[in-house]
Amino acid sequence: MLGGGTIVMRDVNAGALGIEGLVSLCRLGLDRIVIDGNLARLGAFTTLAAVERHPALAALRTAMESIGSPTLRSTATVGGNVCASYPGDLATCLWALDATVTVASREGAKEKSVADVITTGLAAAEIVTEVWFRIPEANAWFYRKAMRRALNSGSIVTIAAHVPVVDGAITSPRVAIGGVAARPVRALSAEKVLEGQPLTRAVVEKAAAAALQDVSPVSDACASAWYRSRVLPVHFRRALLREGA
Amino acid sequence: MPSSVVTLNVNGEEREFLVRPGMNLLTALRERLGLTAAKQGCAQGTCGTCTVVLDGRAVFSCLVPVETIDGARVETLEGLANNGRLDPIQEAFLDNFATQCGFCASGMIMAAKALLAENPQPTREDVIRAISGNVCRCTGYGAIIDAILDAARIRSSRLVAAAR
Repeated sequence: MLGGGTIVMRDVNAGALGIEGLVSLCRLGLDRIVIDGNLARLGAFTTLAAVERHPALAALRTAMESIGSPTLRSTATVGGNVCASYPGDLATCLWALDATVTVASREGAKEKSVADVITTGLAAAEIVTEVWFRIPEANAWFYRKAMRRALNSGSIVTIAAHVPVVDGAITSPRVAIGGVAARPVRALSAEKVLEGQPLTRAVVEKAAAAALQDVSPVSDACASAWYRSRVLPVHFRRALLREGA
Repeated sequence: MPSSVVTLNVNGEEREFLVRPGMNLLTALRERLGLTAAKQGCAQGTCGTCTVVLDGRAVFSCLVPVETIDGARVETLEGLANNGRLDPIQEAFLDNFATQCGFCASGMIMAAKALLAENPQPTREDVIRAISGNVCRCTGYGAIIDAILDAARIRSSRLVAAAR
């Protein structure tokens, strides 16, 4: 299944075995962004560039700009980022935002959590048609992608966190960590530390240390597993305290 | 699987050609249409040497399945010069020594073309972001960034002159 083709076409170009046919989803009209109050509905064929540009989705702009380059984002799609065998940084964000996806198959359409699709993928002949989520308040949204270069680089570790503070206490935090392994994970140990606490340096540092329990880092061209473990708590802290660039 | 016919508007001209299933736009441009300015550097979307402008946006032509863009408008480096008169971006690349081996040049220039069409007065930051998908091993990027900023100045001064 082809969204923008920025993942599948790499395999096609390399002459990868096992590709018997290509089905493009480009003519299904799935490229619309609909904003209803603070609810954002993204068609699965929406390009990452369109998400980046949309004024109502400004909270996600830093995250979008960290994915590849503008040239890549002009064809890469939301659906592709979520459904790829290596779900990307947008998928990590959508997990932190508790997004829902609409999945279509011969049996009709049903809704699944984006977490479901990210962790177990889709069945054959299932396609994601839409992703929707509540747009976060800017002050409750935290994102940091640690990379080897300033732009257009794979992730060493990606932190995406929705951490609302109500009456001085963190309420229902959701933290997703990507980049450290093939698939993003939900940082449940870190969330447990954060829940009900004030958003202070001490609490964040404790949560950052706890986050290590939630991940099984891998070694790849970007970084070694050892390095990822070493810097994950640092980037977690920098993300939630909004430290540094 | 049989080939199919695709029609594209390439540099202002309607071009019709046969494509094998799964053929990418870069291969179509180079092998079907003889337009070899766009280069194959990686075929993975990581080097940018295949960058062309598709319906006004810079894209990696190596990753675009050409069957999905039937009827689209494609601009390549070959279409930039006008009756022998170089585009300001091309002039600026020459004046700023922004090319050495030349392999990245087509991609860089087309990325610049897309940028200046959308943002005629880019900042240095804007330029860097726009070419962040294009790798250069020779120049160290400085001259390329200067050239693109220079091209923006040339274009706007020519627009001002024409308006007078």
